[in-house]
Amino acid sequence: MTTIDLGKRVLRRRDILALMGGAAVTGALGLPAWAQDAKKGGVLKVAAPANPSSLDPATGGAGSDHSILWTMYDTLVEWDYETLKPKPGMAKWAFPDAKTMVLDIATGIKFHDGTPMDAEAVKFNLERNRTDQRSNVKPDLSSVEAVEVTGPLQVTLKLKNPDTALPAILSDRAGMMVSPTNIKALGNETDRKPVGAGPWKFVRWNDNEIIVVARHDQYWRQGRPYLDGIEFNIIPENATALRSVVAGQNDMAFQLPARLKPVIERAKNLETVTSPTLYCIQLYLNYARSPLDNIKVRQAINFALDRDAFVKAALNGLGEPARMTLPSSHWAFNKDVAGMYPNNPEKAKQLLAEAGYKDGLELTIGGYTDQDSVRRGEVIQDQLGKAGIRLKFTRGTIAEISAQFFATEKKFDLLVSAWTGRPDPSMTYALGFDKGAYYNAGRTADPELSKLIQESRVSEDLTKRAEVFAKIQKFTVENALSAPLAFQFELDALSAKVKGFKPNLLGKPKFGNISLG
Amino acid sequence: MSNSGRLRIIGRRLLQSIPVVVLSTFIVFGLLKLVPGDVAVTLAGDNASDQRIAEIRELYGLNQPFFLQYGSWLWKAAHGDLSNSLISNEAVLTSIQRCLPHTLLIVVLALLTAMLVGIPLGIAAATKPGSWIDGFVMAIASLGVAVPNFWLGMLLVAFFSLQLNWLPATGAVSLMKDPWASLSHAILPAVALASGGIAEVARQLRSSLVEILSSQQVRTLHAKGLPPSSILWRHGLKNVSVNLLTVVSLLANRMLAATVVVEAVFAIPGMGGLIVNGAMNRDFPVVQGVVFTMVLIVVTLNLLTDILYSVLDPRISS
Repeated sequence: MTTIDLGKRVLRRRDILALMGGAAVTGALGLPAWAQDAKKGGVLKVAAPANPSSLDPATGGAGSDHSILWTMYDTLVEWDYETLKPKPGMAKWAFPDAKTMVLDIATGIKFHDGTPMDAEAVKFNLERNRTDQRSNVKPDLSSVEAVEVTGPLQVTLKLKNPDTALPAILSDRAGMMVSPTNIKALGNETDRKPVGAGPWKFVRWNDNEIIVVARHDQYWRQGRPYLDGIEFNIIPENATALRSVVAGQNDMAFQLPARLKPVIERAKNLETVTSPTLYCIQLYLNYARSPLDNIKVRQAINFALDRDAFVKAALNGLGEPARMTLPSSHWAFNKDVAGMYPNNPEKAKQLLAEAGYKDGLELTIGGYTDQDSVRRGEVIQDQLGKAGIRLKFTRGTIAEISAQFFATEKKFDLLVSAWTGRPDPSMTYALGFDKGAYYNAGRTADPELSKLIQESRVSEDLTKRAEVFAKIQKFTVENALSAPLAFQFELDALSAKVKGFKPNLLGKPKFGNISLG
Repeated sequence: MSNSGRLRIIGRRLLQSIPVVVLSTFIVFGLLKLVPGDVAVTLAGDNASDQRIAEIRELYGLNQPFFLQYGSWLWKAAHGDLSNSLISNEAVLTSIQRCLPHTLLIVVLALLTAMLVGIPLGIAAATKPGSWIDGFVMAIASLGVAVPNFWLGMLLVAFFSLQLNWLPATGAVSLMKDPWASLSHAILPAVALASGGIAEVARQLRSSLVEILSSQQVRTLHAKGLPPSSILWRHGLKNVSVNLLTVVSLLANRMLAATVVVEAVFAIPGMGGLIVNGAMNRDFPVVQGVVFTMVLIVVTLNLLTDILYSVLDPRISS
C-alpha cells in the first residue's frame, strides 16, 4: 500500500480496507447492518485484553479501560465513529461566547440507581472531576472556572480561557457521568461499585478474570441496547484470547496484533475486522539535550526511517505509514507536511555530517519486551543503521522503561513506543509536546508551539481549528520533535453471530450497535 | 517417634517458618522498590503529569520511607489484612481466595498425573534395564524434560479443543460451583504442566531402583528364593520411597512456579496471572500477598514432606 489520496473520508477508509484485501467491515460498507436486522437479547462474550485500572472514570487511568467504561457510562458528548468529530451525547453544547459553554441535557435520563441525570448531577460530576484529589482528569478541565446550574437540565461552564477542546474532552473520561448518590454513599471506595447512566449496569468484577454488565431497563435511548448483557473475560495473552474465540468460548476479541490476522482468516466462521485508528507507533525523542537537541540529527532520523517498509515488516501491512501524529482520515490532518520526510538514507547521512557526525553516531533507546515491540525495534535498528545511526537498546516492562525515559531519570535518547491518541488533537499536542508535559521527555517547548496549542482551543469552528492544527503539525514535523512510524489498524475477530459491530477511529470498541443474530 | 515428638517438630518448624516468610516478603518488597518503574506513574494514568504523579505518591503513601511502608504492610498482614491492590482496589485476600483454588487444582492434578504415569514407567524401565522398554521410557523422559510446557499446552489446545472440540480451550470454573466443568477445564493445563514431572519421576525412580535392584542385598534376597515381585514391591520400592518423596516434593514446588506460564496459555485466572500483573504494574500489595501465600504453601509442603520421611523411614527422626 502506498499513497491513499481520495476525496471523502469515508471513501478513503473504505478504500484502505479494499487495498488491504481484508474482509469487509459490516458497519462501514453500504447500509449499516444494525439498521436492518437488530435482534434484541443475548449475552455477548468478549475477550478483553486488560484488567481495568478502575471502574470509576475519574480515578482510573489506563487507555484500555474505555471499552469497558462505555458500557456502563454514557458521556455528555459523543463522536462520529469515522472522524471523531464531536456530536451530542447526553447533552447538546453551545458556546454563546468564547468563555462560556452551555450544556443542555436530554430529558428523561436516569442513572442505574434511579437518580435523575439532571443539571445537579452534571455539576456534581464536573466539580468532582476537576477538584477531587483522587481525580485523574483534573488537567482536562483546568480551563473551567465555575460550573453553574442555570436550569433543571442546563449547566453553564464559565471558562478561564477559551477552550473549544471541551466537547471532545467531555466525550472522554471527564464526560462520563456517575451517579452522585452512589459516589456520596461510597466515599473513597468508588473504584469497584460503578453506577452510571449507560446502556448496561454493573454486575460483577473479579480482578484479572471477568467483568459482567446487564441491561439497564430504563436506558434513555429507545430500543437500545440490543444485548441483554456483556461478559468481559480478561485474557491479556492475545493469542490465547483469539483461541478462545476460535473455540467458541468467546464471541469476540479486540485489539489483536497484526501477526494474528492469518490465524483469524484460517478459522472457520470468524469475521476479520480491520479499521484505521489514531494509535501511532512512534519514536519519542528527548530533544532537551545532546545529541538530539540538534535539529539536524532529529531530521536525519526521520529521513532514515522507511515507513512503508516498516508497515510491511512490523505490522504485516496492517497500518498506515505515519507522517505526523494524526492519520490521514482525521479532520485535522495536514496533507502539506505529509511528504516532508521521504525515505532517504543519503540525505540522513549528509545531515549527520553537517551536525558533526561524519562517521555516524550511537544513540541509546528504550523498548519493551513483548514480541511485537521487539520486532518493531529490530526493523528500526536496521533502518537507522543504514544511515549510520547505531542504536543501543535497553528492554524491559512498559512500567519500567517508560518511567526511565519520561520521569526523572531521563535515560535513553529515544523510546520506541506509541501514542494512543485522544478525542481532541489539542490534547495530543498539549500532553506530548507542550512545555513541562510528561510525555515530552525533555519538558522543553518552543514558546511559539505553546502559543499555537493554546490557540487551537480558541475557535469553535472545526475548519478554523484545523488551520491552527495545520500550523502545529508543520511545526512539530519541520522541527522533527518526534519520529512517527505508523498508525496501527485495529484488528478484531468476531464470531459469525455478532452483528452490527462498528469500529471507530479511536480504536477502542463500543458495543452499543452490536446484536446477536 | 512418638506423636508428641512429632507435634514438637511441627511446632518448631512452624516457628522457623516465620523468619522465612518475613525475609522473603522483605526481599521481594526491596526488589520491587529497587527496580525502575513506579506504581504512581501507572496510577496517574494516560494523562500523567509530574505534578499529578507527586500528588499520587502523597495520596497513597508512596513517598514514605522504605521501612515504614514495609512495616505497615507487615503489621497489617500479621493481623490478617493483606491490604488492597493499589491499582484496582480489590482486597488482595479476595483475589487470592479466588485465584488460589484454580492454581492448586491444576498443580494437584498435574502432580497426580506425574506420579500415576511416571511411577509405572519408572518401574517398567528399572525391572528390565537395557531392554526396549527401558529405552522407550528413557526416550519419553528426555522428550518430556525437553518439551516446554507452554508449547505442549498450545499443541494440546489445537488438537483437543480446536480440532476435536472435546475440552475447553481457555478459562477455569470453580470446583465448588461445577465439579465436572471445573475438571474439564483443568485437564489440558494439568497435562501440559505434568509432562516434565512424568519424565522426572520416571527417570529418578528408574535410576534409584536400578541401584537397589543390583545391590548385594537384593542378590541375597534372590538367593533366598524370594519371588521377583515380592523383591520389587516389598524391598525395592520401599527403599526408593524416600528418594521418590524428595522428587515429588521438589516437583510440587516447581510446578507451583511453572503454572505462571501455563495459566497464561490457558487464560486461567490463577495466582500466576495475579503476580505477573502485579509485578508488571509495581502493584506491590498484590505481589507481596501472592509471595506470602506461596511461601506459606511451600513451607507447609516441606513440613509435610519431613513428616512423611519419618513415617517412611523411622531412622529419620529429628
